[in-house]
Amino acid sequence: MSGAAGVSGAGRLNPLGRLELPEYPVDVAWAPDGRSLVAGLADGSILRVQLAALPASQALPPPQVLQAHTHSVLALAWQKAGRLWASSGQDGRVLLWDARLAEPRVLHEERQWSERLVFAERVNALAVSTGRTLRVFDEAGVLRYQHVGSAGAISALAWHPRAGELASAGNGGVLLHRIDVKGTTGVEATPPAPRALPLRAACVCVAFHPEGRLLAAGLQEGSVQLWNLATGSESRLDGFGARVLATEWSANGRYLAGAAGSELVLWDFSGRSGGRADPAELRLAAHSERITVIGFRPGSNWLASAGRDRRLLWWRAGAGDAPQDAHLLSDECSLLRFSRDGTQLAVGDASGGLSIFECRP
Amino acid sequence: MSKRIPVTVLTGFLGAGKTTLVNRILSEQHGRRLAVIENEFGEVGVDQALVIGAEEEIFETSNGCLCCTVRGDLIRILAQLRKRRERFDAVLIETTGLADPGPVAQTFFVEEELREHYALDAIVTLVDALHLPQQLGDTPVVLEQIAFADVIVLNKIDLVSSATAARLTQQLRAINGTARIVPTEAARLPLEQVLDLGAFDLERALARDSAFLEPPRPFEWAGLYRLGAAALLRIGNDPHEHEHSEHSEHHHDQEHDHGAGTLTQVDVVLLPAPTATDGAAPEVLAATLEPLLDRAAVLFETEALRVESGTALAPQRRLRLPTTQPRELSLALTAGDWALFSEHAPEEFALSLPGATLLHQRSFGSHHHDLAIGSIGLTESRPLDAQRVNDWLSAVLQTRGQDILRMKGVLQFKAEPRRYVFHGVHMTFDGKLERTWSDAETRLSRLVFIGRNLDRGEFERGLAGCIA
Repeated sequence: MSGAAGVSGAGRLNPLGRLELPEYPVDVAWAPDGRSLVAGLADGSILRVQLAALPASQALPPPQVLQAHTHSVLALAWQKAGRLWASSGQDGRVLLWDARLAEPRVLHEERQWSERLVFAERVNALAVSTGRTLRVFDEAGVLRYQHVGSAGAISALAWHPRAGELASAGNGGVLLHRIDVKGTTGVEATPPAPRALPLRAACVCVAFHPEGRLLAAGLQEGSVQLWNLATGSESRLDGFGARVLATEWSANGRYLAGAAGSELVLWDFSGRSGGRADPAELRLAAHSERITVIGFRPGSNWLASAGRDRRLLWWRAGAGDAPQDAHLLSDECSLLRFSRDGTQLAVGDASGGLSIFECRP
Repeated sequence: MSKRIPVTVLTGFLGAGKTTLVNRILSEQHGRRLAVIENEFGEVGVDQALVIGAEEEIFETSNGCLCCTVRGDLIRILAQLRKRRERFDAVLIETTGLADPGPVAQTFFVEEELREHYALDAIVTLVDALHLPQQLGDTPVVLEQIAFADVIVLNKIDLVSSATAARLTQQLRAINGTARIVPTEAARLPLEQVLDLGAFDLERALARDSAFLEPPRPFEWAGLYRLGAAALLRIGNDPHEHEHSEHSEHHHDQEHDHGAGTLTQVDVVLLPAPTATDGAAPEVLAATLEPLLDRAAVLFETEALRVESGTALAPQRRLRLPTTQPRELSLALTAGDWALFSEHAPEEFALSLPGATLLHQRSFGSHHHDLAIGSIGLTESRPLDAQRVNDWLSAVLQTRGQDILRMKGVLQFKAEPRRYVFHGVHMTFDGKLERTWSDAETRLSRLVFIGRNLDRGEFERGLAGCIA
């Protein structure tokens, strides 16, 4: 971040430090305790950064460099229990890392990219999407579920917040997979067919409502599709001029945020029943160029957004259409990742900067 | 913005030689860092290249427009590739043989994120010279692949006769009047013929190749002749005369679409040409012919004068010659250099000019074919009204978007010193004001539409309505 442009309000993103990376940071995964993180770079390396010394030093300590992939990292994920984290790369490999060791083991390898990695919150399972194939591995690295032949390449994965259910989204809609990793080991010979939520459109991103009753998907054609999973009803939130690249729910499920182009929209679902009635819509027009990432702070209604205009904005849902804080990054923002407890935010930029912010309040 | 990475789309029907060409490109020591996106992995992968497997995925929209499609796999893959600090010099996308390249091109029009970092460089279509005649008749996707192309690689040329190759070139030209046609064997061709062409950057494409926007002509052939004092024009299907025709090689080797024997008449135009220097190089002779093309095209739009036996052929007129029997026609021309423009290739009606020397000849695309896809070229010297052009093109895209595979053009607007250049794929369109017209160039609006069942009259009327 080259400077801060404070905006009035009680909420703040307090910069703690910045690390100059040798390459574009593609993804970051926080350790569950928030004391370290791993950053995957476009040259295939992964940096492990210890943050225990912050915020006193204001300078991030030199990271440990892990030689991980021969081509760019694609995705990172850290298990809630903290023992394992995973990486995937353009070399076609999915690696499973013991958090105490610097040597990974190869979980999966093929020539097609594995673009999405997501650990489940409630079970020790890692979902991996590779093209049209979904695989779920248990903590021992045993393949427990496999679904081949989705209608389109899987563009997004989301675990149901409570049940052992996994949503995979892509061209043609969403599939809801029943995953039971506590059962017998190995792949089920005939796993139950996933429940299909068909759509004549391409889903780019997907997010479960915190209570799991609603599912929101951002679409290529510039709208957000909502499903009420209990009733089966559907609705559409239109009005974007570009692909909806992100949909995020606030922790209490009242707000849904969507970003497309330079538009950031908040929908207020308070007082609505099952998403059937149109929620109130608030357009937050503070970005001048394409938004690249958004994210709700865990456990709150605070939302961060950043994009091509290098602005990192800090919003409080329900507190009007002005950001509560703003920072100017060195370059286009490449990623935003909150620590699990929501107290820290890692922000990557295209010039190879990785900044850590303390989230206030 | 940093320099955008050029993207070449390689297309062609099954067996046309795409994989051979990709492997050749990857194997060559050209020093460029390439990323190759292909649906099936080739056998060659070298260190400086990244070969990425992709599963072709078409994103349709639900707004009911079938032609508004993009390639979802490319959006994801190219977004990932651009993150490297050490960038690729170029990206090569190999499509499946059954693919219509439209969605690939549209992806670069529609996706802002891709446009920021990548520039669609050219669509290169490989065709199999041996099987092309059959494919043109029964494989619609081959027609579309040819229509979309900026470069057509006529591959396996060694497997057909030179006459067949010439005929195929004419057929390709008829489908796509603006693509560069490169004949080759076993997909062997210099890399610069397929990479870094800038075909979607019209300013650059025009600077590199002035014929890039050359419209299809209403004639198939032009010849530059030096006439003696008593030259004659001889036509007709006298079997004894064929062997003596200067075009006889083609005549015997060729099975033309509409066959030499079926022609009953042919339209020609004669124009005086600047005197060429004796022994002038072919390019000099070609340049002599060039300024006469537009004039000839205009005359071909006028009412034809039917020529009867005994009538001397006059210049500057569209003349209709009966070809049902052999004839000798006198020429009401002075000795010197003349250009003859003919509706059909000369071998189709056994043309010869005793007493004249053929200095130079040039073939143009066949315009009277049964193919559903073809090109329409329009030129207009009068300035256009920008708003009317906008309204017209919008209406064309709305009503004919599915049928128009590609369009491109350079326009002259009234009271605007800059050239407006545009190109489009189906309903996606991109246009902007570029450099100013130079004093040395003729201010001329030129437009080319390539598509299905296009009505030339409809487009001519539309353009006429845009004149300021």
